[in-house]
Amino acid sequence: MVKDFWPHYRRRMLLGAIGMGVLLAVVVLLAVVVTTGIPEESLSFAALVVALFAGAISMNIILVHLVTVPLKTISDALTHISGEPSTVVPPNPNAEHFARSGLKPLLQLMYKSAAADKTTKKPNSSAGSLINRALSNTKAGIAVLTATGALQYANESTPISVTTDGAKNLELVFDEHDTLEQWLQNVRDTQVHAEKVWQRVPNKIVGEENRRIFDIAATFEKGSEAEVVLVLFDHTDIYQPEDDALDFISFAAHELRGPITVIRGYLDVLTLETENLLQPDQQELLKRLVVSASRLSGYINNILNASRYDRRHLQLHLTEDTMAAVYEGINDDMQLRATSQNRLLSVDIPNNLPTIAADRSSLSEVLGNLIDNAIKYSNEGGLVNVQALQDGDFVKVTVTDHGIGMPGSVMGSLFHKFYRSHRSRETVAGTGIGLYISKAIIESHGGQIGVTSTEGQGSTFWFSVPTYASVKDKLLAGGNTNTGANMITTGGSWIKNHSMYSG
Amino acid sequence: MAIKNILVIEDDRFIGEMYVRSLLHQGYTVDWMIDGSDGLVAAQNKPYDLILLDIMLPEVRGTDILKALKKSQNNASAQAKIIIMTNFDQDADSRAAMEHDADGYLIKAEITPRKLLELIGQL
Repeated sequence: MVKDFWPHYRRRMLLGAIGMGVLLAVVVLLAVVVTTGIPEESLSFAALVVALFAGAISMNIILVHLVTVPLKTISDALTHISGEPSTVVPPNPNAEHFARSGLKPLLQLMYKSAAADKTTKKPNSSAGSLINRALSNTKAGIAVLTATGALQYANESTPISVTTDGAKNLELVFDEHDTLEQWLQNVRDTQVHAEKVWQRVPNKIVGEENRRIFDIAATFEKGSEAEVVLVLFDHTDIYQPEDDALDFISFAAHELRGPITVIRGYLDVLTLETENLLQPDQQELLKRLVVSASRLSGYINNILNASRYDRRHLQLHLTEDTMAAVYEGINDDMQLRATSQNRLLSVDIPNNLPTIAADRSSLSEVLGNLIDNAIKYSNEGGLVNVQALQDGDFVKVTVTDHGIGMPGSVMGSLFHKFYRSHRSRETVAGTGIGLYISKAIIESHGGQIGVTSTEGQGSTFWFSVPTYASVKDKLLAGGNTNTGANMITTGGSWIKNHSMYSG
Repeated sequence: MAIKNILVIEDDRFIGEMYVRSLLHQGYTVDWMIDGSDGLVAAQNKPYDLILLDIMLPEVRGTDILKALKKSQNNASAQAKIIIMTNFDQDADSRAAMEHDADGYLIKAEITPRKLLELIGQL
């Protein structure tokens, strides 16, 4: 052991020093005897012999001590570095005498090298290979990133794309309003420790081959060696069937567009042409048909838009508009839906609110979804309030019902695709798509959407969209070609230079 | 410009009749063509104020009719407004072409006859 070296060496040195001292004394004594002869006074001769031996031996011991001090210091330091259990006190390189003797830099170098060695020390080989095997075998993706998002490590299950110049990147299609990059940008300047979970993040858009869908947990530790760690759980088997279902439904929905056009159209024609011919109860039947047909049309639009959104094909054309005008387009339909289901719909959207940047058709779809939900989840004879007000650079709309409400536990999932609470699945019809696409549309407008609710008392859904003035420059700079021109698009539809849609 | 004469080029009989019936009910003069080539001939030979043009048509597609009418000013309907009516999503290029040539683009499923009449009334 390292610590055994010094006592062993010291003993040998001392024995050597004593031997050398004895030898030196004998040589000197012989020289004296040869040159002067043996003195008659044996006492003084004896004293001389003792003094000679004592002097030679002690001088040698002192010499050995002086010569081996640095060696002892180095040995002590090495014993300390070795980590062996011992009572050796590690030499302090900052002690003055080390500076004087010139040992200080040697000690510092030894300690420094030892420290550096420790930090780069790999786990012992068997543990290391076990971890590597585990990382390769697990179905969970594990990736380590820098705080700026550069990929440092990714195991085999992590979806990776390689650019033409060989750079590796995470291959994940985050919701454009909730990306990893945005989160990192936010936390790296403001947080020391942060965690986040994303659900349902695919590596490719719908329709591409080898598509996988992940739930992702991220941790951020400022200044740590692995600042950002992502763990990706491959839940393709859970989510893919739902996406396939949406794919199929959207295909079917597209086919339904023709018949629903005809049904709604002829109901419209019938309503116009039979206005004065039908009895009130027959007119009521016709109204119910109109309401159901327009609701069906709404579902179809939701499905088609959700499918377009998932494929990144949903295009909104934001133009200057007013919330009142957006609502006006669906007012008749909404009032009819409310009255036919014995609800009271009260709407207060002032005309003098600031104009907003809106895609009229999409935004009216959101309003329609929220009002339709409020009607569905209200009680018989219940009141649904729709209000709009200015909130800083936003116009905020609230839709309040006094219906069944919901517990806090379900609110976090409400805007997820296909989410339907256990209770609503049993009692109220719906696709679980309306709020999902509403959120996508509102966020694509640069706004926010949310809900507050008290179980048994009702819910308030709200959304806000930016005023036109606050985003005008951005829209014009972003090449939103329809903005500013006197042309209004209504999702799919548009009419040039039309006074009806001039906002 | 007050709209009086309207040409509907629509191959779906249910949808065509729906528009024609409500337009006639509103007092417009309406011609209805079912296939694309007849529609193009009609548009070239009679001065219409408005043409409601479907895209997916037999013989000649709506986009080709649009191009033909806009390319040559030597047709009777040179001044007609043209509104595309479709239920199909168009790719970006087709949309851009239509935005350039047409005066409007309506998704049939979104436009009931009542809304169509309102729109035409204000053209």
